[in-house]
Amino acid sequence: MIKSRPVYRPFALDVTGRAHLVITDQPQPPEALDLALANISLWTVKTIAPGVPAPAAERCRTFRAVPEMFAFLSHYLSRASIGLRFYAVGSEPFIWDAYNIGTGAGLTAAEMFLAQSGPPCRRVYCCHCKTMIDDVKETIAVCPGCGSSLQVRDHFSRRLAAFMGVKVDAETPGNIPLPELLSS
Amino acid sequence: MNLILKPAETYRGDYSVRNSDAAILRFPFPFPEDSYMYSVNIEPHVPGGPSVAYDAAFDLDEHYIGECADRAITLADDPMRCIVMPHLIDAEWDTLELLMESLAKDYPEQFVLTKDGAVWHWVNHPLGIDQKFTFGDATTLPYPPFEFITRQVQGDFTLQDQRDNNLFVEGGMVTAQADWSLNFDAGMSFMEWHAPVPLAHQSGVFERALAYLLRLQYGKPVRRLNWTLTANPRLDTSPENYPIWGPEKAAITPENVGERLCLRVELQTLTRLPRSNAILFGIRGYLIRLEELTRVKKWSRRMHRLIRDLHPDIATYKGMSGYRQTIIDYLGSFDDGAPTSSGTASEQTSL
Amino acid sequence: MKLKITGVVPLSPTIREFLLADAEGAPLPTAGAGAHIMLRIPGPERMWKNAYSLVSSPEDHHEYKIIVRRVEHSRGGSAWLHDHAAIGDMLEAETPQNLFPIPLLAYKHLLLSAGIGITPMLAYLQVLRKPFELHHCGKLEDAGAFAGLLPTAPNVFMHTNRNALDLEYLLAHQTLGTHLSVCGPASFMDVVLQTAQNLGWPGAKVHKESFGGATGGTPFIAHLRRSNITISVGADESLLEAIETAGLTPPSLCRGGACGVCETALLDGVPDHRDHYLSDTQRACNSAIMPCVSRAKTPELVLDI
Repeated sequence: MIKSRPVYRPFALDVTGRAHLVITDQPQPPEALDLALANISLWTVKTIAPGVPAPAAERCRTFRAVPEMFAFLSHYLSRASIGLRFYAVGSEPFIWDAYNIGTGAGLTAAEMFLAQSGPPCRRVYCCHCKTMIDDVKETIAVCPGCGSSLQVRDHFSRRLAAFMGVKVDAETPGNIPLPELLSS
Repeated sequence: MNLILKPAETYRGDYSVRNSDAAILRFPFPFPEDSYMYSVNIEPHVPGGPSVAYDAAFDLDEHYIGECADRAITLADDPMRCIVMPHLIDAEWDTLELLMESLAKDYPEQFVLTKDGAVWHWVNHPLGIDQKFTFGDATTLPYPPFEFITRQVQGDFTLQDQRDNNLFVEGGMVTAQADWSLNFDAGMSFMEWHAPVPLAHQSGVFERALAYLLRLQYGKPVRRLNWTLTANPRLDTSPENYPIWGPEKAAITPENVGERLCLRVELQTLTRLPRSNAILFGIRGYLIRLEELTRVKKWSRRMHRLIRDLHPDIATYKGMSGYRQTIIDYLGSFDDGAPTSSGTASEQTSL
Repeated sequence: MKLKITGVVPLSPTIREFLLADAEGAPLPTAGAGAHIMLRIPGPERMWKNAYSLVSSPEDHHEYKIIVRRVEHSRGGSAWLHDHAAIGDMLEAETPQNLFPIPLLAYKHLLLSAGIGITPMLAYLQVLRKPFELHHCGKLEDAGAFAGLLPTAPNVFMHTNRNALDLEYLLAHQTLGTHLSVCGPASFMDVVLQTAQNLGWPGAKVHKESFGGATGGTPFIAHLRRSNITISVGADESLLEAIETAGLTPPSLCRGGACGVCETALLDGVPDHRDHYLSDTQRACNSAIMPCVSRAKTPELVLDI
């Protein structure tokens, strides 16, 4: 696997941190998370009833959807103190979007921990027309922006939170290989 | 330094660019032996070497006007070929200072730089630029500082921020690249942006290179050579425009390989910048058609043997799978089997 | 390069400012904030090679400015500069290098300095683009000299009694984008770095340049195995200096234990590690030493050099 493709370790708290924020795009917390520890906050995504917010809570919060969680995240991080450790668990696009909010707030790689959960599902960047394509599960993706059939590469950009897509039949137009399922 | 400029020739469409005899003889041929494998191969960037192309801090040649014109076209079509992240603003001024001072020193007939405190006056005769500005005040320049000066120098440039024992490519003027995307790679660490290079990671070449570069000293730039092959003397072989140049690769035939297929050599320089402590990576590309290259006997023999015996993974990575055999057949006719000497020098004073 | 002393300004009995210009009046190389120059200072018996932070602005290409404290039990260099250096004197210097660059991603700079560690901060203050807070800790007798160098501003603090700085509170209440830059004697650095670590500061946000503290020490013997030479390292010289006096030219750069260039394999003996470069594992197994600052715990060392 090429060196730009992230490799994830299982979720675990970094004991050198003074406070911990764990977020996930799932309704349930990650395994191995001991909520009894006083300095941990946990955020999840769960629909209680359509549009209805969960009751406000200090350390365990539930959001109606990921965009709501990310808006709150930006605000929270802008007021947090150094010593915080930030953990994101979920789909690959989710955790890297969370990571980029973290770097925007001043966090460095050593203060953030990402763990991927769920089936392989890539966001792909078409380098020809710059369109982002979500939910890619195969090795060839058709770009909705310019119509190219893209080879889904393993070269990954953390900043764009996406894999590189390059026209697969550029040299011999029309010669498109059969797609295969992505294994990761 | 002696600099004779040609009027602009083209690097796209009709590909009118040709190397004069002098340009062929000064070409920075990269292969000292008949075989090739990756190595760190860094050496001090000081004047002197097998070609005069190594003498200037930033080498200019007869193609200066044409290459700057080609860059301007690429930028007009895709401004995101020049990106500098805001935190590298000091690196922009470092680069402007370095390139202006180097060009004015090495090519005083073409470039003049005078300073009156922070008010600088820059004259670029070949491109007809006469610019007064205040150093440190970007509002006094028609483009941001890094873009302003790199539009006037041959070769691509990237800026690496050094932090946390690592380098991050967070700026660049990249219009003549060998198939990598600045917009995609911007923000990557050293290992991440080198990820697509096959084989090299196993041998630890990148670990050693990174450790070396983290200690790169101000005032002691270094250089190394890299190479690839290009169909047609095209500068913009970006992933973004692969749909344009990809079919040109497929159109290489035994009849046209001599005229169209080019050896592309990058003279890479690495320079520590003072205010930002960033590293400026210069990627100065040189293109030579095989039919021009084969006018140098030693280089003909060497290229034939090297391409013939190249590791298949490297051949694939350098994109030559489609025409490797065509090249070998063409070059084979120039290889009489005689031994070649070590070293890259042409050993000819005329063609 | 050759530099000429063009100004000498005593700031206190033990602190002196020097202005240095190119000997021929040529423009000086640009030196970024945080950079230092290595000066070769002539002593009565030998040459000293000392590093001094530049306090001048990177945009001043006419003169470099340094501030030198006369070290109490001086190893020679600073004493010569205080006692003998005069306007017109020539000194050899190396091109400035920067091992303490400003962290470019910081949203806020928290600057902590003590004693002569204020010097790189003085250069920083001339170029910082982001908000900052500077806390300087100094001895009472130096307060006047340093206060005169610092701007009067609500974000600049002088502490003449180190206890007046509530370090724990300061480091516990910084927003995520803050970077800490700290410079001063080893004892000061140790306290700051340990406190930061305890409060969960990641290494990537802590930037340091140490100006030593304990220099020199017990004399010892060093066997240079591959060169077949045995040297004695005196109380007032470093192992690296003793190796150089013996005629060898091992690679070196910062001469302050930070950059790693002089790392040398150790074949025998127990080193006294005083560097900031080797990992804990390397220190524990006595396999390497940084000769520019480290010394010996045993009477003899054997180096693979």
